Amino acid sequence: MDRAPESGNDRKLVVSGLGGIDLSAESDSGDGLDVIPWLKSPKTKKFMGKQDQLAVIAAGRALRDAGIEEGARLEGAGVYLCVGYIPFEQQDLEPLVRDSTAAGRFCMERFSSEGLEQVNPLLTFRCLPNMPIFHVSMNFGIQGSYFITYPGVGQYYLALERAVGDLRRGVVDLALVGAVADQDNFLVRHQLRRLSSSGAGSETDWSVVPDSAGCLCLELEDSARRRGGNPRLELVSFGIEYEAPDLLAGPATYSEKIAPDRRPGAAGRRPYHGAASLPLSLCQLSGAGTAEEIVHEVSTFDGFAATSCWREYA
Amino acid sequence: MPRRVAITGMGVVSPLGINLDELSSNLLDGVSGAGPITAFDPASLPTRIAAEVDVEALSERSKDRKIAFATEAARFAINDAQQAGEAISGHYPGASGGLSLGIGLELFSMPDMVRLMEAGEEPEGSEEERLTFLQSPSDICLHQICREHGLGRPPMTHISACAAATDAIGLAFRMIRDGERGWMLAGGGDSMINPMGVAGFCKIGATTTRNDDPTKASRPFDRARDGFLLGEGACVFCLEPADEAEARGARIYAYITGYGNSFDAHGISEPHPEGEGAVLSMRRALDDSGIRPEDISYINAHGTSTPKNDPIETHAIRRVFGAQADRVPVSSTKSMIGHLISAAGAVELAASIVCAREGFVHPTINLDEADPACDLDYVPEGARKVDVGYLLKNSFGFGGQNASLVVRMGNGRGARV
Repeated sequence: MDRAPESGNDRKLVVSGLGGIDLSAESDSGDGLDVIPWLKSPKTKKFMGKQDQLAVIAAGRALRDAGIEEGARLEGAGVYLCVGYIPFEQQDLEPLVRDSTAAGRFCMERFSSEGLEQVNPLLTFRCLPNMPIFHVSMNFGIQGSYFITYPGVGQYYLALERAVGDLRRGVVDLALVGAVADQDNFLVRHQLRRLSSSGAGSETDWSVVPDSAGCLCLELEDSARRRGGNPRLELVSFGIEYEAPDLLAGPATYSEKIAPDRRPGAAGRRPYHGAASLPLSLCQLSGAGTAEEIVHEVSTFDGFAATSCWREYA
Repeated sequence: MPRRVAITGMGVVSPLGINLDELSSNLLDGVSGAGPITAFDPASLPTRIAAEVDVEALSERSKDRKIAFATEAARFAINDAQQAGEAISGHYPGASGGLSLGIGLELFSMPDMVRLMEAGEEPEGSEEERLTFLQSPSDICLHQICREHGLGRPPMTHISACAAATDAIGLAFRMIRDGERGWMLAGGGDSMINPMGVAGFCKIGATTTRNDDPTKASRPFDRARDGFLLGEGACVFCLEPADEAEARGARIYAYITGYGNSFDAHGISEPHPEGEGAVLSMRRALDDSGIRPEDISYINAHGTSTPKNDPIETHAIRRVFGAQADRVPVSSTKSMIGHLISAAGAVELAASIVCAREGFVHPTINLDEADPACDLDYVPEGARKVDVGYLLKNSFGFGGQNASLVVRMGNGRGARV
């Protein structure tokens, strides 16, 4: 597919900061989900689900990587975020379902009188898909433009497209382009089973769906330089195509590759990172200092085909 | 060179009807769409009323109401846009259309979830039944609409809660204006009138419990308001570059001229006390439109009928409009159709436009005694004759996402090109 060259514009777009978190990775298995250092008020953690914490950590790490100090005024910043599939956790669902059932069927009366009692009132806040962007905006003091979309890597590319458009037109001067995929849970596994084709030869390991998030700080190069930022990658080109899928026609296919792939275990089948796959891959791959190009290509369940090319700063 | 963006078609599925004439007639008469919930048995919940769509009037029979509403509204919009002029498919090459849609907050069907988790049952019925099992995820209708209408540009979902549809329309406007897309369908669809949706809102005390008096339950800006009335529905607009719309001979309802959005970056369940995000959103939309507050002749408020929203929105309007605030009529469509959540901004914009085309602004019903902190002109007495030029539409989402649109009426009504 065609990629629209970004380098054709007079002003380069650069990634000045990268942040990611992958709870399946060893380094993130322990303290990885410690969101407290990124919160303005630790008390707000009680309102946060896992997806909220993942998003805030990835954004915080990206801002720190960009050299943007904690508490800095981000008046011209915008947030462009893709949130993955529904994040209900099994431990929240099980008591709700158990106490809303009679004779193996849903019972409205039990649901009202007993099932709902099992639900923590804060669950409403923790499961809404617009909460990750709320927590990012609040904790980093961002009031700028936003685009929040759902649910996969195709939509992440749309968030990237929107961020590029807003940067080029001066709507924002710094774009946090993130994705969060809290998907290691009952409902998402059910949905992936429904959508995926896990046939032989697949490069994706559907048995591993890590909870993960990634975020890029995207800026115009001159703007990044002016504030003393240190560009890591240049966005060379990207493109998005779509053909409406026939959702009733049966399993759809998914393919994704990134080259060169120097990630650990790259030769084997890879976990499915969903919406977060591109920013997380860039986090893992950048920093080689070789001025080489990184090319990402994906074809998704829901009819998207997208590609992007990034060049490392030597 | 930025392109002007015209609204050439509107499709509405609302508690006050599924065609534009029915909608405008009910709005101007101040009719409430509220009543007891019939979609399920809510007897054991604190809130047992809502503003429901008459699903029997729809041709789309999907088990998932939000899918039925959005797909039907898209059909209505395409059909409406082709009531005058050349067919869209004939005028625009290939699959050049796009879609930008505010979709429902992710929930699931409790009866289906119990079947799945307790009984291990997956549906064995038609493919449609299997696809809509659990009524999740929320983006299924997006692909169905694209497939049905041959839309070939990547479709966008918006999940900014109560601001989602306004964001969807605003972004589509911006992409057409800046030449990133050709023509687009844009709007929103939602239904949370199900056990999880209603119970979830009850759990956080957001909805009205005035169950004995449904038509009086939604009372934005009134001293006795006690929460919002849940509604459901969808609205889709057909947006085109104005020069292309004119070239194909389309009827133009109105022009979208500005869009802004913002974060409150404040509390999780309450708006910024000074309405900071709302102020930014309105100012950005006005700036984007290149007009001043004194150019606005009508504001369609977010106006939820919740204790927190209404005074803050009032304060924010005063901050943006200054001395002009007392001059501009402000009304809340939610007083009649309730809160349609992710569809709200689109249906309310359509409500504003159909009334403005008649030369009126619709009333805010049930405003018997205004909250002292709500001191604008909310049009409480009934529909008012107003020659609307530019109108401002506000949507302020739970979670601090705010979006505003500026629209200029077409066909000579307030046109100042």
